[in-house]
Amino acid sequence: MNNNGYYGRYGGSYIPEILYTSQQQLLKEYRQAQADSSFQLELQQEMQQFSGRPTPLTPCRNLSKLLGGAQIYLKREDLNHSGAHKMNNVIGQGLLVKRMGKKRIIAETGAGQHGIASALIAARLGLECTVYMGAKDIERQYPNVFWMKQLGAEVVPVTSGGQTLRDALDEALRDWTDSHPSSHYLIGTSCGCAPYPEMVAKFQSVIGRETKEQSQQLFNALPDAVYASVGGGSNACGIMLPFQSDVAVELIGVEAGGRGTKPGDHAVRLSNNRAETDSPAMLGSPGIAQGFASIFLQDEQGQLQETHSIAAGLDYVGVSPIIADLAEKNRLRMIAAKDDKVIEAFQLLLRHEGIIPALESAHAVAGAISEIPQRPKEQNVVINISGRGDKDIFNVASAVGDPEFDRFLSRYLDQSLKT
Amino acid sequence: MSNDRTPETSQLQQFIQQERKLKPILLMTHVVYGYPSIEDSIRLMETLLESGVELLEIQFPFSDPIADGPSILNACHKAINHRPQLDHCLKAIESFKQRFPNSRILLMSYLNPLYRYGLSKLVKEAATGVSGLIIPDLPLEQAEQYRKDCELAGIDPIWLITPDTPESRLVQHCEAATGMLYCVSRRGVTGKTDSQKEDSKQIPTTTVSLRDYLGLVAEKSTVPLAVGFGIRERHQITMLQGLADVAIVGSALLDAYDNGGLRQIRQLITTLRGKN
Repeated sequence: MNNNGYYGRYGGSYIPEILYTSQQQLLKEYRQAQADSSFQLELQQEMQQFSGRPTPLTPCRNLSKLLGGAQIYLKREDLNHSGAHKMNNVIGQGLLVKRMGKKRIIAETGAGQHGIASALIAARLGLECTVYMGAKDIERQYPNVFWMKQLGAEVVPVTSGGQTLRDALDEALRDWTDSHPSSHYLIGTSCGCAPYPEMVAKFQSVIGRETKEQSQQLFNALPDAVYASVGGGSNACGIMLPFQSDVAVELIGVEAGGRGTKPGDHAVRLSNNRAETDSPAMLGSPGIAQGFASIFLQDEQGQLQETHSIAAGLDYVGVSPIIADLAEKNRLRMIAAKDDKVIEAFQLLLRHEGIIPALESAHAVAGAISEIPQRPKEQNVVINISGRGDKDIFNVASAVGDPEFDRFLSRYLDQSLKT
Repeated sequence: MSNDRTPETSQLQQFIQQERKLKPILLMTHVVYGYPSIEDSIRLMETLLESGVELLEIQFPFSDPIADGPSILNACHKAINHRPQLDHCLKAIESFKQRFPNSRILLMSYLNPLYRYGLSKLVKEAATGVSGLIIPDLPLEQAEQYRKDCELAGIDPIWLITPDTPESRLVQHCEAATGMLYCVSRRGVTGKTDSQKEDSKQIPTTTVSLRDYLGLVAEKSTVPLAVGFGIRERHQITMLQGLADVAIVGSALLDAYDNGGLRQIRQLITTLRGKN
């Protein structure tokens, strides 16, 4: 990255002028904190004592045997407090907020994982917390909304546009233009204006550093390949960046193939995996929006497009400038997994390994499963399980078509309406 | 860094200064191209130009207008459904320029639609009808090529400054400014403001008073000052007289249009002008 926050031709800072002072303040505080050993120590302690790090690297003997190819290991970010890797970032930014002396955080959320993590850290650090969430995502992920409110956060439904993550991000930015002297915008992924992509990736890179060490312990080598799902890109940046200069380690990002390649049916910004997306070329194109330059799904007039994924955390219209750059330089190979393949992968992991991944993370599993049988048995691959799947109970129940679950819901509703 | 070329007074600046000799303050009205439909937005623009607004700001809609509040956001989203084309918008502006020689037109949009079209290409093509360009998410330090293109095309890149802009940065903007400076009156997005709570008694600002803020800008700047964000009523405009050259009305105009169409627009302009 250069000084202006560029990764190749992506990144930078394209924000309304009103945010300039707060952006500069954040940049300065972040740089100082990076060089401050007491900050780093506190960060490490919080990750350990509050989030339960390090998270394990779990060998998947059954699934490896079943697929008959490379040996599979899962990096268990689902075991973080809050159930997702999002915790790593909010701990880091939360401590920065304290350092800056601000009293309130603003967050956007898609699946609700970042919203929950933000609400948790706000409660722990005594900060006010406002979470913007697309009205459509609130419908898909109400259990998370419930917990955010219980934790004391204000959840604001965003009803403009497609009512998903991207609209929530716009609205969070609007709040910040109004409240920036006292509020910090705690962005949940490695997107946005500089220094957010760098900062979020840095706080998340604990995932990759641990994976590196644990790989040596478990199989005495670096992994041959690392798979991660890519929505905004924070879990992928987190696990991959520490391997960036280990060129023998293949890095593969898996984005949401959704229902198909029509606009509005997917969130495939970078990959051109024909088998999965039936697409001859990259679907996204270079653009500048939401504060940064990257690859966005947009029409020929430069209007950002609607997206879809069964996983609310992956249907983002843009992608981290770090990911866009790594993909452009061919350091990172991008593929996509469609909704139905994701559900299959999800079920395989449940049945054979006793692990319930988030639907977001199940994309990484699906992507890996599509390639692992072709890899030699001597290879070791790591899949990042960015979060756990409890939150997806409603969506999975409907995707697998469990009639008993629906009957339970209606009985529960009858009961609670009576009382 | 010293600038070896002395900036000539631009045509837009000359126009504003000329008009200001006759009037205490000028009006810039803001319209979203394509809202509620392409044709209706053109009619709205014509109505405003016929009513004699000195400056017309035409926003080419973008799906993610992060500096805009609910009124303009909603208008942009509705406008996008009509698939507005930037080149058509430029053609419309060109015809206005010929038909309404007593007004000047500024084009406003976010970076992405312009970038997609080709920013250099846009600047060149816009020169036939557009006097100034406003791009709220293009900061000065990312704008080297854009400024060169604008200078070559004879279009003014209009910079936004805010009450939170530090003085050193304000000076940079003042040095870069041609045509006019767009002084954002307060924090937050366009439209809905504290002024509604305060019964529109004042133009809401932040820690410094609007008078001090505009005073400082006037001291540093050689170009006319336009003030926008949260201006809805006549007395706010009266208050700006002597502090600024142009009052910008955006969301209030949209709200009036939504409430009562072109008739309400004519009425609002008359009221804002203080001719009732």
